[in-house]
Amino acid sequence: MNQWEVFVMDMSELAEGKDLALSIRTLNPGHHKYTYKHVRCQVSSNLDQHPDRLQVRMGRGQLSAAKFSIKVIEEIQRMPAKYA
Amino acid sequence: MSKISAPRSNREFIEACVKAGDAVRIKQEVDWENEAGAIVRRACELGAAAPFMEKIKDYPGFSYFGAPLSTYRRMAISLGMDPASSLPEIGKEYLKRTNSEPIAPVLVDRKDAPCKENILLGADVDLCKLPVPLVHDGDGGRYVGTWHAVVTKHPVRGDVNWGMYRQMMFDGRTMSGAVFPFSDLGKQLSEYYLPRGLSCPFATAIGLSPLAAMAACAPSPIPEPELVGMLSGEPARLVKCETNDLEVPADAEIIIEGEICPDYKVEEGPFGEYTGYRTSPRDFRVTFRVNCITYRNNATMTISNMGVPQDEGQLLRSFSLGLELEKLLRSQGIPITGVYMHPRSTHHMMIVGVKPTYAGIAQQIAQLAFGSKLGPWFHMVMVVDDQTDIYNWDEVYHAFCTRCHPANGIHIYKNTTGTPLYPYATPHERKYSIGSKVLFDCLWPVDWDKTNDVPTTVSFKNVYPQDIQDRVLANWTAYGYPQTK
Repeated sequence: MNQWEVFVMDMSELAEGKDLALSIRTLNPGHHKYTYKHVRCQVSSNLDQHPDRLQVRMGRGQLSAAKFSIKVIEEIQRMPAKYA
Repeated sequence: MSKISAPRSNREFIEACVKAGDAVRIKQEVDWENEAGAIVRRACELGAAAPFMEKIKDYPGFSYFGAPLSTYRRMAISLGMDPASSLPEIGKEYLKRTNSEPIAPVLVDRKDAPCKENILLGADVDLCKLPVPLVHDGDGGRYVGTWHAVVTKHPVRGDVNWGMYRQMMFDGRTMSGAVFPFSDLGKQLSEYYLPRGLSCPFATAIGLSPLAAMAACAPSPIPEPELVGMLSGEPARLVKCETNDLEVPADAEIIIEGEICPDYKVEEGPFGEYTGYRTSPRDFRVTFRVNCITYRNNATMTISNMGVPQDEGQLLRSFSLGLELEKLLRSQGIPITGVYMHPRSTHHMMIVGVKPTYAGIAQQIAQLAFGSKLGPWFHMVMVVDDQTDIYNWDEVYHAFCTRCHPANGIHIYKNTTGTPLYPYATPHERKYSIGSKVLFDCLWPVDWDKTNDVPTTVSFKNVYPQDIQDRVLANWTAYGYPQTK
């Protein structure tokens, strides 16, 4: 199970049952902890719904008590190919 | 100029600080995730010795040096002065050196540049190979650049800029940073690169000599490579980058080379800031794509942990902003006695001492200060007379509370340039960097009769004849009091 974290200004940004585009960062231990990916995903407040866990922080870094499960559908490549 | 013996590199500086008792070697392993940041933060809040953390979890061979210039003692050491030097003495020396002839940097061969001891290119480039710390719990990311210089050059004018723009690691090859539109780099991007859709080459230098860091932090009009020479009394040693034409400090611990993307942005922040808060919102900000990393063997990353006073962001920025304003005001012939910014104001309040020889002098000072390049970094100017010791907060506070007329002495300037970091600003003002300024005029009006209208200060120094003062001082211990300074 992977652990992820997301920053939101408002919990409504985490609408359940919809495809969302989010920047999430990995909380898995190791050198790459806290690095980000842009992903298309679905989230649920039912922790058994999706394979991975998602932790939430608010706009100024406050940790939310809310916990979600998350399914990463695909990584979105927003960066222009010339920078690859 | 007499010979200056200032530390020429971060390593020499650490040694000098350890020798003076102003740095401690931490031998036990420290975690890059929060623990290193917490050590630095506590050292800042206690005014303690700088932590030199020699063993970093997950990153053998690397070390951290935290809070490099968060005390005036370490600032004195960085200038090659006695650590016990007073603030006015350090300020006088800074002014003397920065008013001297510019000293051009020298370009050294890459074989003589320690920062080239390890070179990562192509698929090997990964910021995660560096011990990038999570400075504060809840930050938007691990911050690569907290005490560093982002080197850029104007493609037409050739102006070189070293600026301390915070940089967050987004992924192994991408950083995002806070570059305000009024900053040198912000102007360079908006006037040249962004309209043309061109990438701006950059190089981030980490683990600089303390005077190179001081130059990168100072809002001086002197190009930073020359300013380093003036501060240290000898040319700065620079070396060409591997992947662009920029020149970087050869003795830096780590160099990150790349390009600023004109057409792509990723999120940055939140981050614990010099105001003592997390204020600026997480936002899509200037994005740096990394093409090369070079570093010294056993490289040391420098960490500044910004938060409540006092850290080097507050101390050094207050110091240099105050002295650069002093230069500006003197250049205009204003009879000031000095300028001081207390670091605990988080460089928001300028205190200016002046001989009030004509009407409107406080307004003239405020307009020059707020209208200058320095202006966006502070929003309060307090003007006191030449009898008030600007370094003595008790005296300044007394003058403010008694001489500043609530209706006539407070002047507000609206819709000025601000920053998203101002804690008091509204969300709208933060988003668009809109500011407000205030002048506290603590001078007696020049049209008051000096004999009958201006109140007399009632103090030991001011109301007793000299012979009485001398007698009381001479007999002080005989009266039964302990000796005082």
